[in-house]
Amino acid sequence: MSPIAVGEREIFEIAREVFDAMIPGGGALEEWHGDLPVQHEPLTAWVAFHGPFSGRAVLSSERGTVDDLASALLGLGPDAVVGDEDRLDAFGEIANMVGGNLKSLLPFPGTLGLPEVAAEPPADGVLLEKLRLSWGGRPIVITLWSTDSAAAALSEGSTLQ
Amino acid sequence: MRALVIDDSRAMRRIVSGILKDLGLEPYEAEHGQAALALLEDGLDPALACVDWNMPVMDGLTFVTSVRARPQWRSMTLMMVTTESEQSQIVRALAAGAHEYLIKPFTPDAMRAKLEILGLVRTETHA
Repeated sequence: MSPIAVGEREIFEIAREVFDAMIPGGGALEEWHGDLPVQHEPLTAWVAFHGPFSGRAVLSSERGTVDDLASALLGLGPDAVVGDEDRLDAFGEIANMVGGNLKSLLPFPGTLGLPEVAAEPPADGVLLEKLRLSWGGRPIVITLWSTDSAAAALSEGSTLQ
Repeated sequence: MRALVIDDSRAMRRIVSGILKDLGLEPYEAEHGQAALALLEDGLDPALACVDWNMPVMDGLTFVTSVRARPQWRSMTLMMVTTESEQSQIVRALAAGAHEYLIKPFTPDAMRAKLEILGLVRTETHA
């Protein structure tokens, strides 16, 4: 069994590092307390892991929050209008940074897919971890999925080992 | 001094180019390795290339290998700027001919520190 574990703590630390370094303003990334509100115009960005472990890291939020994330990442002013291309690209790149760093903690070497963005994530897979986070009071959800049967067997318990 | 920023993310190209501009470099951009090679073939002669790893069409490792196979581009400094953070990947990139490796996420200060090590910007002195 690999000594490397990917659990909520590891995912949160990676996400917080991404936000602290690349997304100034908007507040620190924190744990979300309470129920999540219904997301209006939800957007999802993910990167896939390929190899002995197959799965994906997924970020979800609503469009208004994604626009603010894109604006902060790009260093635009608070009143800047974020275009479709910048919105999708920036959200995908944030998922890429989270997923790429998570890949280094997975128990098996593999490759990373290119980021994808859509209203809904792919429907297949087994949910391994789900983090509900707050970015300046706005909800962002990060999930880790396995998409093969071998990895799904590892989903028992709270960490992937 | 010219620099070539190679990344399929336009957001990341803009971020890296902005940092390089602030450091006094003149950035050019390409969305993948093949587009970057085309710029070099057309005569662009950057002192530095900042290279993402995972890109469509041509990935960063293939770009590095292609550049190192051409003696006329030998003087170009190659720095990987990527989320690929496993030690084995860093070793692969350096073995292929990259000079430095910067893991995303990064701060402007972290990029500056790498460029100082490479001798491409002056070392900041503190009073």
